Amino acid sequence: MSNVSLVITAAAGSIAAIAGGALPAKTRVWAAVVLTWGSCIAALVGALAVLHTGQSSVLNSSQILPLTGVTMVLDPLGAVFVVVTAVVAIASTLYWLGYASHGLSTRTASAALPLFVTSMLLVPAAGSVATFLVLWELMALASLMLVLVDQRRREETRSAAQWYAVMTHVGAAAILFALVLLSAHAGDQTFAAIRVHAHHLPTAVRNTAFVLAVLGFGSKAGAVPLHVWLPKAHPEAPSPVSALMSGAMVNLGIYGIVLVGDRLLGGGPVWWWLMVTALGVVSALFGALHAATSTDLKRLLAYSTADNMGLVLIGVGASGMFAASGHRAIASIAMVAALLLTVNHAAFKGSLFLSAGSVQVATGTRDLDRLGGLMRRMPITGAIFMVGALSIAALPPFNGFVGEWLLFQSLLHGLPTSSTAVAIAVPVGVAALALTGGLTAVAFVKAIGVGFLGRPRSEEAAAAHEVPRTMQMGAGMLAGLCVVLGLVPVIVLPALGRAAASAVPGAPATTLSGSVDLHLAGLQGVLAPALLAAGLALATGAVIALRQLARRRFTPQPALRRAEPWGSGRELQTARMQYTATSFAEPLERVFDDVVRPDRDLDVSHVSESRYYVEKVTYWTSIGDVIEQNVYRPVISAVHWWGQRARVLQNGSVHRYLAYGLVALVVILAVIT
Amino acid sequence: MLALVVLAVPFGAGVASAVAPWRRWVGWLCTASIGAVLVCGVGLAVRVVHGPPVTAFGGVLRVDALSAFMVIVIGAIGVLATWQSVRYLDAELAAGRCSQRHASLYSMLVQGFVTAMLLAVVAGNVGVMWVAVEATTIITTFLVGHRRTRGSLEASWKYIAICSVGIAMAFLGTVLVYLAALHVGHHEHANLDWTSLMAVSHHLDPGVMRLAIALLVLGYGTKVGLAPMHSWLPDAHSQAPAPISALMSGVLLTVAFYALLRFKAIADGALGVALPRALLVAVGLLSLVVAASLLLSQRDYKRMLAYHSVEHMGLIALGAAAGTRLAIAAVLLHILGHGLAKGVLFLTSGEILLAEGTTEIAQVKALLARRPALGGVFAFGLVALLGLPPFSLFVSELNMVRAETQVGLGWAAAISLVCMAVIFGAVMSHGRHMLFGAGPDGEQVHKTPAIVTAPLIGALIGCAILGVLAWPLAGLLRAAAQVVAT
Amino acid sequence: MNGPAYASTLELMSGVILVCAVVTLWRRSLSAVVKALAIQGFALGAVALILGIRQHDAVLIVVACLVMASKGVVIPTLLGRVVASDPSSREATPIVNVPASLVGAAALTFLAYGATQPVVALIPTTAGRLVPLGFATLLIGFFSMVVRRKAISQIVGLLLVDNGIALVAFLATAGVPLLVELGASLDVLLAVVVLRVLAAQMWSKFGVLDLDQLRELRD
Repeated sequence: MSNVSLVITAAAGSIAAIAGGALPAKTRVWAAVVLTWGSCIAALVGALAVLHTGQSSVLNSSQILPLTGVTMVLDPLGAVFVVVTAVVAIASTLYWLGYASHGLSTRTASAALPLFVTSMLLVPAAGSVATFLVLWELMALASLMLVLVDQRRREETRSAAQWYAVMTHVGAAAILFALVLLSAHAGDQTFAAIRVHAHHLPTAVRNTAFVLAVLGFGSKAGAVPLHVWLPKAHPEAPSPVSALMSGAMVNLGIYGIVLVGDRLLGGGPVWWWLMVTALGVVSALFGALHAATSTDLKRLLAYSTADNMGLVLIGVGASGMFAASGHRAIASIAMVAALLLTVNHAAFKGSLFLSAGSVQVATGTRDLDRLGGLMRRMPITGAIFMVGALSIAALPPFNGFVGEWLLFQSLLHGLPTSSTAVAIAVPVGVAALALTGGLTAVAFVKAIGVGFLGRPRSEEAAAAHEVPRTMQMGAGMLAGLCVVLGLVPVIVLPALGRAAASAVPGAPATTLSGSVDLHLAGLQGVLAPALLAAGLALATGAVIALRQLARRRFTPQPALRRAEPWGSGRELQTARMQYTATSFAEPLERVFDDVVRPDRDLDVSHVSESRYYVEKVTYWTSIGDVIEQNVYRPVISAVHWWGQRARVLQNGSVHRYLAYGLVALVVILAVIT
Repeated sequence: MLALVVLAVPFGAGVASAVAPWRRWVGWLCTASIGAVLVCGVGLAVRVVHGPPVTAFGGVLRVDALSAFMVIVIGAIGVLATWQSVRYLDAELAAGRCSQRHASLYSMLVQGFVTAMLLAVVAGNVGVMWVAVEATTIITTFLVGHRRTRGSLEASWKYIAICSVGIAMAFLGTVLVYLAALHVGHHEHANLDWTSLMAVSHHLDPGVMRLAIALLVLGYGTKVGLAPMHSWLPDAHSQAPAPISALMSGVLLTVAFYALLRFKAIADGALGVALPRALLVAVGLLSLVVAASLLLSQRDYKRMLAYHSVEHMGLIALGAAAGTRLAIAAVLLHILGHGLAKGVLFLTSGEILLAEGTTEIAQVKALLARRPALGGVFAFGLVALLGLPPFSLFVSELNMVRAETQVGLGWAAAISLVCMAVIFGAVMSHGRHMLFGAGPDGEQVHKTPAIVTAPLIGALIGCAILGVLAWPLAGLLRAAAQVVAT
Repeated sequence: MNGPAYASTLELMSGVILVCAVVTLWRRSLSAVVKALAIQGFALGAVALILGIRQHDAVLIVVACLVMASKGVVIPTLLGRVVASDPSSREATPIVNVPASLVGAAALTFLAYGATQPVVALIPTTAGRLVPLGFATLLIGFFSMVVRRKAISQIVGLLLVDNGIALVAFLATAGVPLLVELGASLDVLLAVVVLRVLAAQMWSKFGVLDLDQLRELRD
């Protein structure tokens, strides 16, 4: 049953790509979208069947892929990622129908988008090294083509695409070598064979493979310091593509780390997972800080992706550490937390990117300092963005809360039972989690407050209109999921529990129980999100009612005076006097001056008559990426330097060329005799 | 019989084009003759995959699965190149850069060139193979110099001077192999037939064979374009007319590599795998490093493609160094994939040169916007050449790396991956400047005639199909790998 | 041909081949170099002839005559004409000066002796002992292609390489099979003709036959 669904997924996706590339302009987007839905639904059905029964579905063919053949195995862990991808893809392609006229209706885009979606759907089902790598690279190629949609108009797009392409390729090379190393020692390239031989591998091979895999997959997941492509490519891609990249593609980086570390190698020493946790902590803090200081809406979301993937990595790392020290049950809970965070992130980041895309379509800009007042002009998009922002800030009753609660639980309960290294790492993780939460809240208060509330800061923002219905529906679908997952997370938790059990070696089958409330096996914590929400609603209602009551009863009704937001109660003259995103982030920038290193420039020009009168003040500030400046730029210059040096090798002299040959001949003769 | 037809048909077309004054139909006749070669190659492949090798002239010509595969490679890229030759000659004649007589000469030489390559791969005798490979050098020298500019003269000189020395060393290597075969015991049967050499390979004198394989690797390596004897390659490939560059880069290099594969199998028998492997790894890695270094600040797109050939030859040298069946099958698939992709790219670059009048990367901008068809083909050609799926180069590179890791050459595979990543970055940035961006305002979009783009797109699709579907080549690759694998 | 006479003439002719190779490095005048090449061609033919007579091999004797005709007469004449037409036909400033070149040649000869030990060990005859001379000629020819600036010098270097290989082939195997031998000679002849044609084009384009002119194509 479920392997039929794999075939349908692949077939429908391929036909969608061909249709998108071949059909005339009028029909191609519709055809591609409908066929892509077919592909997604088939994948969804298959994956849900796997999650429901716990039975992997297997598919083999030696007729596809020369020299190796194809092996597909969809297990519960992979199925979780398939479901996430399928849901985000359905929402994004729905959104695409409305968005298509903004550059996404070209042949290339209409062919690449189905290809991108299909390859992402199939990556978690790959059951051999070759199958995995082909799908992985197809995904990279298709997404690169989609990032390039705007290349004619924007130099930034071209540059972002190059960063993306090179980082992805380097990452893929690391993954390729890691997997090939494992398969060479196992003697066969199926994952099943690798798993069987994993424990007989030399330690050096295991360590090399894992470190390379973490580097390769980490760069896909946007883990700092391998994240540099992410804040460039995600904002430059068309918004449905950003949503897919951020909601679905980066998850596959996480999947890859779990696949290699847990599924293939069967877990490893504590230092592996300390490394993963450290990556997670750094990513979470760095991403959150940059999100809080960004003024470009999509760049903010992109950094926030790095932040969220950092949290997931903390979960994965914690799970590995607990498993390495023998606490399988807690390890399993940490894994469930990581998976839940991934699912949640897909839902809210998808809806946020899609609604940010709506804002960009409506106003033509992503610069928060040129937005404002959109809540009134685009109420539905504003509401969707609001739901996403509350979710990402981990406020109950939205879904972000449950995931972070679970992660806190596993970290705190794992603490007393662990070794010294873990005992140091875990509190750091908890502290990072807390600080990240605060910074995320700042970032999204800024996004909502400056972008959607207040008065418009530009004519474009003032002229904004609500976007087409399909776009609202696409974004709204994911926002709805945020609410559902926040209220009744138990609808996904059993499946995630099964997935975690298949990922963490030797974990108990069920670690989570309960229908309305949530019990964790062996732990004290209990959470009933729906009751919590009901309680919250009641409490809020009660407070409002009491206040109204008190006002009526005790105080005379004061004259109600309405004032502009951000106006400190003053009558505001112009929109320019409002608080801006830059000024909002400024205190934070000062506190974290050493990390974000903003470039500031103050240019004061005086009137010519007197130096005491100022004619104009220009204040200019920008925040680059410290890691890009200090790590990547020097490497790039070194490579360029070498490229210039190497040109002397080929200086045009035939004598020199012949001399190379003579020297080679002499050396070889000298060596072999 | 079929083996003879493979040689006779293109030769006949060559004679015809030498006799008849150049007309377009002569060009199409040449294309058709190479098409016939391709068909014969497929026919031969079908016969030899399951049956014994096809022989003619008492073993002078001998086609086994490996030869049949190479005939297919030559035929496929030959069709592309001769197809485009018609357009090239039209353009040259129209621009007054070449006379009718020169056009005839060109056609004749191309046919001779293809025939010589075919002879090299169907020869059952390693001496005849050497003669054929040397003949390709001489013929292509004239073709490289066909434009008769200062640059093409310089390129021709470097090409023939360096390659002649290289091929001379290969001849000495062949002589030494013959010497070793003479001293096996039964003198009277000693000859340079590939089958008899393979039969006695385990008894060949190891001392002489060490010397021989070193000279052969360096000598044929020169024609393959392996560092350190690669230096003629960027000049010759960038100065030759586009169809010739396509043939030289797409096929001629790998025909020379075919010779190396044959000799490596003999040397493996005589010496064990260690020395041939060490030599191939050394030249392979050196080629990769040289290609990566010189691609970084490349300013000429034809030279960029030429260094790309050096890179790919380095990759297949590493693959051959591993030498297992998987490795050889991957090497052969890579030879075909590289030939198709490189052929397409050189032919496209010829069109770009025709349209833009320059080979400088900096002077060509926004091709995708200004010339969508040409730019698209160039872009996908680069994607294929950089080894991304669905094109077959990805599969073959992956399996070469697998095979290398299996035989303990993981470290070399790792270095090759690093070099490929550097090359990816370099080509990406050159390609970005040529392909992306907006054209100047008011300039209209240039259409490229379908007769030009159709075969190129067809070849790219073929390359993609070979990278996805296993059945077209599975049996042939397996049989061919069996011939020379350790 | 009896033993000692055979051995000594074979040694003499092989020695002449090596000496001619050294002479091309020593002399700067191109006409002298071409003369040395002609002598070398004759000596090579003589080696083949001696071996042919010794082994009663008619094919080898025919080959010997062909070698003398092509390498002793035709090619040197072709090159001689170019040299005669170029008034400045001197290797004025070779890349490595003459004394250093001669030292290099000595070193390469040593290397040749070292490298060919397995061959000498395999054929314990007079002819086998002389194989290193052929190798040394090859290496010196290669070396002269590297250090000489004139187009003609480079052609001569290539011919030295070829003669060295032919000497090895004659001495070690009494010639490879005829088909291959003929093909190989024809190819070399053609290569020289092609180079000669290119040299003529260079002459008409640049007015000099200096390879330093060829440095336009570079990275």
